[in-house]
Amino acid sequence: MTENIQKAADLLFEAHASGVPCDPVRELLPEGDVDAAYAVQDINTRRWLDAGRRLVGRKIGLTSKSVQAQLGVDQPDYGMLYADMDVAEGEEIDVSRVMQPKVEAEIAFIIGDDLNSEQLTSADVMGAIDYAVAAIEVVGSRVANWDIRILDTVADNASSGLYVLGHEPKRMGEFDPRLCGMVMEKSGEPVSVGAGAACLGSPVSATLWLAKVMAKAGRPLGKGDVVLSGALGPMAPVAPGDVVEARIHGLGSVRAAFAAE
Amino acid sequence: MKNLAEAAVTVDEAARTATAIPQFEGENSFSVDEAYAVQAMSIARRLDRGEKRVGVKMGLTSRAKMIQVGVDEVIWGRLTDDMRVEEGGSISMADYVHPRVEPEVAFLMGAPLSGDVSNLEAMAAVEAVAPALEIIDSRYKDFKFALGDVVADNSSSSGFVVGDWRAPDIDFSNLGIVLSADGRPVQIGSSAAILGNPVRSLVAAARMVARWGETLEPGWIVLAGGATAAHPLAAGMTVRSETQDLGTVGFSVAD
Repeated sequence: MTENIQKAADLLFEAHASGVPCDPVRELLPEGDVDAAYAVQDINTRRWLDAGRRLVGRKIGLTSKSVQAQLGVDQPDYGMLYADMDVAEGEEIDVSRVMQPKVEAEIAFIIGDDLNSEQLTSADVMGAIDYAVAAIEVVGSRVANWDIRILDTVADNASSGLYVLGHEPKRMGEFDPRLCGMVMEKSGEPVSVGAGAACLGSPVSATLWLAKVMAKAGRPLGKGDVVLSGALGPMAPVAPGDVVEARIHGLGSVRAAFAAE
Repeated sequence: MKNLAEAAVTVDEAARTATAIPQFEGENSFSVDEAYAVQAMSIARRLDRGEKRVGVKMGLTSRAKMIQVGVDEVIWGRLTDDMRVEEGGSISMADYVHPRVEPEVAFLMGAPLSGDVSNLEAMAAVEAVAPALEIIDSRYKDFKFALGDVVADNSSSSGFVVGDWRAPDIDFSNLGIVLSADGRPVQIGSSAAILGNPVRSLVAAARMVARWGETLEPGWIVLAGGATAAHPLAAGMTVRSETQDLGTVGFSVAD
């Protein structure tokens, strides 16, 4: 079992390093054992931290009812965000930086206070949020052809890739996290439409889930952490040359421009 | 020669008696122009029965639906006072064939509007904006139809509910919308799904009614189009839609 966890971690780490996707790792783990999948993720988290990558936040995945149904789960998952995943707005993205890239529009919360308790409430989370911005997450999968089930994506750092943060920070009370409309356009064509409620009912609820789980897992959210709280609509594939813009009502817009080949 | 007047009787009777009919296929199928002629004649029959014209509805306003039906233009239908359902009121399944509901944005016209107009001219003619629900009900068996069929069938329009009106002085291009059935969310979307911005649908409405010699009249309602996929209605269901900055609108299905 421990051997297989290590083996799954090695496969994913090697895929990331080589840029060649690997086979699904779920067969290496006991069926339905999400904890084992997080153990795989944690091996690589420690590996990256030892290698000097800076941990700057977390992402929440599987926050929509339809995606949960697709993977046969009833809970979201999380992954680590590192400083090198942050793309400055306006910076062209080389598509080769993410394997099999897709984009999602999300609300990013920047945490202003430590959330180090397993008995957190919505009030704690809203009080600890410093500000929110519109964000585009470029997700990717180290597993060939996105052939993922819950264990694969959890083990693969929740299929994280890169992210771009918008530049119109808003505090709680200045926007509506639950009812804000979202539209994402690719080269002017709408590719995803949704609203805050599509993310576990509210991105604040998703963040509360994350904060509790991270406190329990020993990597609590703290001041300065970025939380990508989950997609507000369906994800869309991207190709070299694409320009993606997401607008979230009350939070302005954010762009991700992919370099032409 | 196709008998369009006869077809108008067929679709009107189907709507009046809530009876499913087969598609108009083969030599009986309509061109889009013929279909609008059938629609005009079928609505004329409703007006002859004493109903009053109160506005228009726009359809196929999302990219997804245009691709689904294989068209690149929106469609429209005519609203009468008989289609209006009181906000918070109830409907009976017996009055419909296989009804679905979709959340929309409604415009109330304050000045006449017709022909090719700019977004600015369109908005200048709008007195108020409100959240709305449209009850769509294709009279064709299994909700299956070609473009000509749906246009002839008044673009599937059969009922509508309008919430509280407010001044159109807000940015309503990307308002989040949650459609709930029995208190649970069943569709989540944004007004941006309506051609990217509902005002574009109003501009299209002005252009399209002008082709048939009509004008969007003061006091008329323009339903701009669905903001999410439609949700099937069932007896006993309570439907509610919540729209950012516009509030809620709802109704229930009695039996």
